[in-house]
Amino acid sequence: MSRLFSWEGFLFACLIVIFTFNAVAAPDFLSISNQINLFQLSIEKIILALVMTFVIINAEIDLSVGSMMGLSACTFGYLHQMGMPAALVILICLCIGVAGGLFNGWFTARLGLPSLVVTLATLIGFRGLARVMLEDRGIGGFPDWFAALGQKGLIGPIPFALISFVVLFFVLYILLERSGFGRKTYVIGSNRDVADFAGIDTARHKIIIFTMSGAAAAFAGLLYAARVGAVRGDVASGFELDVITIVLLGGVSIFGGKGSLVGTLLSILIVLNLRNGMALLSITGHIQTGVIGLLLIASVVIPRTKLATPSFLKPEVTP
Amino acid sequence: MKHVLLGAAAAMMLTTANFAYADTIKLEPGKETNMVLLPKFLGILVFDQANEGAQEAHKELGNPGKLEFTGPTPENSTAGQIEIMTTAGTQKQGAVMLSNNAGDQIVPAAEAAQAAGTKVVTWDSPIPGGKGESVFVAQVDFGSIGTVMADMALNILGGKGKMAVLSATPDASNQNAWIESMKTALAADPKYKDIELVDVVYGDDQAEVSYNRALALVDKYPDLGLIMSPTTVGIQASAKAMQDEGLCDKVKVSGLGLPSEMASYTMNGCAPEFALWDFRDLGYLTYFTSYGLATGQLKGEIGETFTAGRMGDYTIEADPGREGAKRILMGPFTVYNKDNVEAAAK
Repeated sequence: MSRLFSWEGFLFACLIVIFTFNAVAAPDFLSISNQINLFQLSIEKIILALVMTFVIINAEIDLSVGSMMGLSACTFGYLHQMGMPAALVILICLCIGVAGGLFNGWFTARLGLPSLVVTLATLIGFRGLARVMLEDRGIGGFPDWFAALGQKGLIGPIPFALISFVVLFFVLYILLERSGFGRKTYVIGSNRDVADFAGIDTARHKIIIFTMSGAAAAFAGLLYAARVGAVRGDVASGFELDVITIVLLGGVSIFGGKGSLVGTLLSILIVLNLRNGMALLSITGHIQTGVIGLLLIASVVIPRTKLATPSFLKPEVTP
Repeated sequence: MKHVLLGAAAAMMLTTANFAYADTIKLEPGKETNMVLLPKFLGILVFDQANEGAQEAHKELGNPGKLEFTGPTPENSTAGQIEIMTTAGTQKQGAVMLSNNAGDQIVPAAEAAQAAGTKVVTWDSPIPGGKGESVFVAQVDFGSIGTVMADMALNILGGKGKMAVLSATPDASNQNAWIESMKTALAADPKYKDIELVDVVYGDDQAEVSYNRALALVDKYPDLGLIMSPTTVGIQASAKAMQDEGLCDKVKVSGLGLPSEMASYTMNGCAPEFALWDFRDLGYLTYFTSYGLATGQLKGEIGETFTAGRMGDYTIEADPGREGAKRILMGPFTVYNKDNVEAAAK
């Protein structure tokens, strides 16, 4: 019952409204191909949002995910063009993601620098590397199996990326809500000092989460390369802001310690359905951006308005 | 045997590019098909003009369907174009008219749209590899743009001097093709031998970025004589930068610009000469082409000739710049200077 009157409950109500509106207003909305496209068009961002939920609950931020996606996608294009086998290149790209994540984590957790600064630096740095590698070229001509993985259905009409998203959601859900690792994530996010006193190796924990984020970003970069079949230096630039928007809209507190993967999932569905509905109704990009912006403002303001808001609109407060 | 001979004769007619006797297709008006005009992004005057041309053709052909003018925001151009292209297939649009800013990244979405029965007609900027595209409506011959720009440089610099190019985005295939063709033109004729192309920079088709890039060029090359900007945003920003800094006596600006935006700079000598085609016409011709394809009246095959309303007859031909791709060539160019710019600006 408490769940129903929580922020998640409010998001769920919003989702029902948007979904119903789309189904009535746009005749093609419910078609299977559109439902798959709806996810596919933003699949990389929503995969990143799942991992970003961990990062932000842990009271950190990772601004470098878009640039890491770009670096991974560009490395794939570059090395593949040099003639390396695609399977090996994929492995290298994932290793780059892990290394980049370790780098972010090390500087944040061990040296105590703010993650905002560290990942802002790597946002610029990773993007710089990607651009140095590809300069102003676009690279395409990937192997057929790689393109098919990104563009065609793997199980029936459902593509590999969407299956990955679903599997990742369940794995991360168990990790966050049903494991010691998840509980530590919340505790460290609420108060790192307390966690330290309690004997938790908070630095190690943070490094693991940043590494997860880096690896997920590299994976997302590969998915992007497969989906669009060509890469260039500006791949996924600015994606980090969309990812963070989704997570915050899902009720995850930017100060850490609060939030849930279910909230993120609901927020993902809201944003995707909203965008898809507007696209099907041929509403232009500027208005789409404006609507999502208003939604984010609402998500920040509504739960904090004490007087005017009925209690069910306030996010659950952990004692 | 007779058929074979007829076929051979027809093939010869096509390959010799002599279409005088080929049937010209008159498009039947009043057929219903929904179409989308998709610019690189919103908020650029020339794309609005292309839309005016397309709307004019839409009315003229009496299409009871809808013509939507929709595009992404500048910072979201690639992902936005892919999204709109994908959605168009879902909406079962008759055709998408695309000024491509996504390079070959648009190909899977364009191919999916084609598979769903949506024709993809590019204008202004094609799909580089030609995949997923029905036909490209080329504003002018990409090779001749190079010569026109080289000649303007020759005039303005008086035969000798340093020039830099300020382009739009690094992956705009039209821009890259034009810069290449200018390099080719400069190398081809000894009369250009004293003109030195020192740099190519990118202003992302955003006024402020272009403005700063123009100033950076002047700092980097103190003896620069000319900034050549083959984009309407870049040329205006460069001209304004030179005017604001009082550099118009030293550094001239030229390239592709809109008379209405450039008239004052031409009259005060900052941009003595520039060139362009009519974007209204480009939108108009693109609409006729797309309407023909979407209603099945055109097959999109090389050699087909059709009448595009007030603009006359056009033929689908092989694109000399992109192997395996097809184009319709609009042309021609207008070069603007002190004598004609004010009349065109009205």
